[in-house]
Amino acid sequence: MKKSSGTFGVLKRFGFNFMIIFILVYLLFPFYWAVNSSLKTESQLFMAPATAIPRDPATLEFSPTMQNYSAVLRDGQFLRGLANSSIVATSTTVLALIAGSFAAFALGKLRFRGRRPALYLILAMTMFPQVTVLTGLYAVITALGLSARVSMIFAYMIFTLPFTTWVLTSFFKELPDALMESAQVDGATTFQTFKSILLPLTAPALVTTGLLAFIAAWNEYLFALTFTSIDPTARTVPVAIAYFAGAVARQEPFGEIMAAASLVTVPLVVLVLIFQRRIVTGLPAGAVKG
Amino acid sequence: MTSNHDNASSKSKVSSPKVKMSNLAKREERLAFRLLLPALLIIAIIAFYPLAQVFYTSFTDRVFASGQETNFIGFDNYQQLLSVHITTLDPVIDEATGEIMIDPETGQKVYERPLDVLPREPSRYREFNQFSLFGNRYVVGATDPSFIQSVSNTITFTVVSVFLELVLGLAIALVVNSKFRFRGSMRAAMLVPWAVITVVSARMWEWMLAPSRIGMFNALFDWMGVIDSPIAFLASGTYQLPAMIAVDVWKTTPFMALLLLAGLQIMPEDIFEAAEIDGAGKIRQFITITLPLLKPAIVVALIFRTLDALRVFDIFQVMLGQSQYSMASYNYFQLIGNRNMGLASAIGVIIFILIFLFAISYIKMLGVDQE
Repeated sequence: MKKSSGTFGVLKRFGFNFMIIFILVYLLFPFYWAVNSSLKTESQLFMAPATAIPRDPATLEFSPTMQNYSAVLRDGQFLRGLANSSIVATSTTVLALIAGSFAAFALGKLRFRGRRPALYLILAMTMFPQVTVLTGLYAVITALGLSARVSMIFAYMIFTLPFTTWVLTSFFKELPDALMESAQVDGATTFQTFKSILLPLTAPALVTTGLLAFIAAWNEYLFALTFTSIDPTARTVPVAIAYFAGAVARQEPFGEIMAAASLVTVPLVVLVLIFQRRIVTGLPAGAVKG
Repeated sequence: MTSNHDNASSKSKVSSPKVKMSNLAKREERLAFRLLLPALLIIAIIAFYPLAQVFYTSFTDRVFASGQETNFIGFDNYQQLLSVHITTLDPVIDEATGEIMIDPETGQKVYERPLDVLPREPSRYREFNQFSLFGNRYVVGATDPSFIQSVSNTITFTVVSVFLELVLGLAIALVVNSKFRFRGSMRAAMLVPWAVITVVSARMWEWMLAPSRIGMFNALFDWMGVIDSPIAFLASGTYQLPAMIAVDVWKTTPFMALLLLAGLQIMPEDIFEAAEIDGAGKIRQFITITLPLLKPAIVVALIFRTLDALRVFDIFQVMLGQSQYSMASYNYFQLIGNRNMGLASAIGVIIFILIFLFAISYIKMLGVDQE
């Protein structure tokens, strides 16, 4: 931002900060409410009116409880779910990024017959609702005899691969052809150009796409529920959380669900913090002159 | 590797005639196919059979999870889902007076019962909607009014929420793209809604929208004094769809914002510097430089958001249950509840076609796929 001075500058900065705070409140408040609920006991949850911090029903003093968290952490299911989710989501993302960036380079930068049909074929893979493809997918997985975790990794390709391919294709297309041509004149093969010039230049896109795909895989529920039905040790976090409800009779353990949700969201935020440097670093000026 | 060989030919590209060029083109084509191979293999293994099966099953009367014999029934499932019939409703004539009968309580004209005028063949049409036009009363009947309702719900939901997500996502991306101190943490915070597990997020909102002051919104509105009695957001027809849209916009705006942000990041800064020197204002820069350059990113973001919105399932299933359907939750109900796999597959195909139409129209409207 340019430095502005005087009353106008102060107003402008004030407006900008106000906007940032507004955006943050909008995006974070519901999550705050989940954390707030996770610190309440059953009776505190049912207090009317609802309180913005956990309060004692009688004295109205601040009194959070950690019982939901200790219940979640004592449950072996949940921790194992975390491990499973990490394995499945990471493998899915890596596979989808590799296959996706290869395909995207071909689709975005190379000339060949059948380019457009290939683009649409890949998109078509993900245009059915999950419920509809479930039976067919289950048949394929049984026929191949895949384990539950591997099944999930492959099944998640259905929604991650078209996503990574399409996003990266649009980014590769943006890079000027001159870049490739000059590299080729310098004696690099097409694939070398791709690997050592185009790929680094699209790093922000790669990281963003990877993060979004990772989270999509991390949050998937329906496929995970189906494929782990025969192997409960492979359950991912969303499925493990859903089974909280089954473990306790009659009442749904809402506080525990919120505690688990808060616990799983934190590692994701940390992950983004680690990778965000890569998202921040855009192109150095002048790197791609047409 | 063939790198030496490639080197030789790329050099010759610069200096030598067309014969070599076509050789190069062939090599480029071969490289393209090699690069596409992993993706195509994955599709062939994992997606081909399930997708083909959905198409095939949609033309049968297959029952889910049963040994019952399956018959090929052509387009019957589609006919069952999509048959719509509009007809006039005549006012009822009072036999004693020969005049149009008026309801003594409401003072309105009394019309025939829709069920009496709607066709019963090939299967019974039920009332979907009534409307008046030029003094006539019409009734819209459908063989499956719940499905028609779910289509209208889903399309309204998709158009409104994707539009809001685009506007909000673009605004957030632009704000976060400018340099300020806590930009890094802001990016991480921004992703929180998208990171909350979808099924859990639906639960969370259900709780916040609870129909008494246990719920955050009713407690807040009550405290602010804007409501007299608690609102049943998820039970009343007026608020159901807006509530779904609000939840979805909250959850997926980060997805949109992050994709657009990546698009902004990749823009070379010197264009803006040049524009600045030419004296173009911020707003002009945005309209003449930023938006056109961002188009490809916008199209891809729109396609994938629309795709997800048209298949919206979790929030409708968890928060509205059987009271109001999206196409995908109706699909789920037909498959799991009614075990009508043929019909469910036909719904899947209809969603597929809708998504395809949306995707094509984005690409055509924004003119991205030039070639």
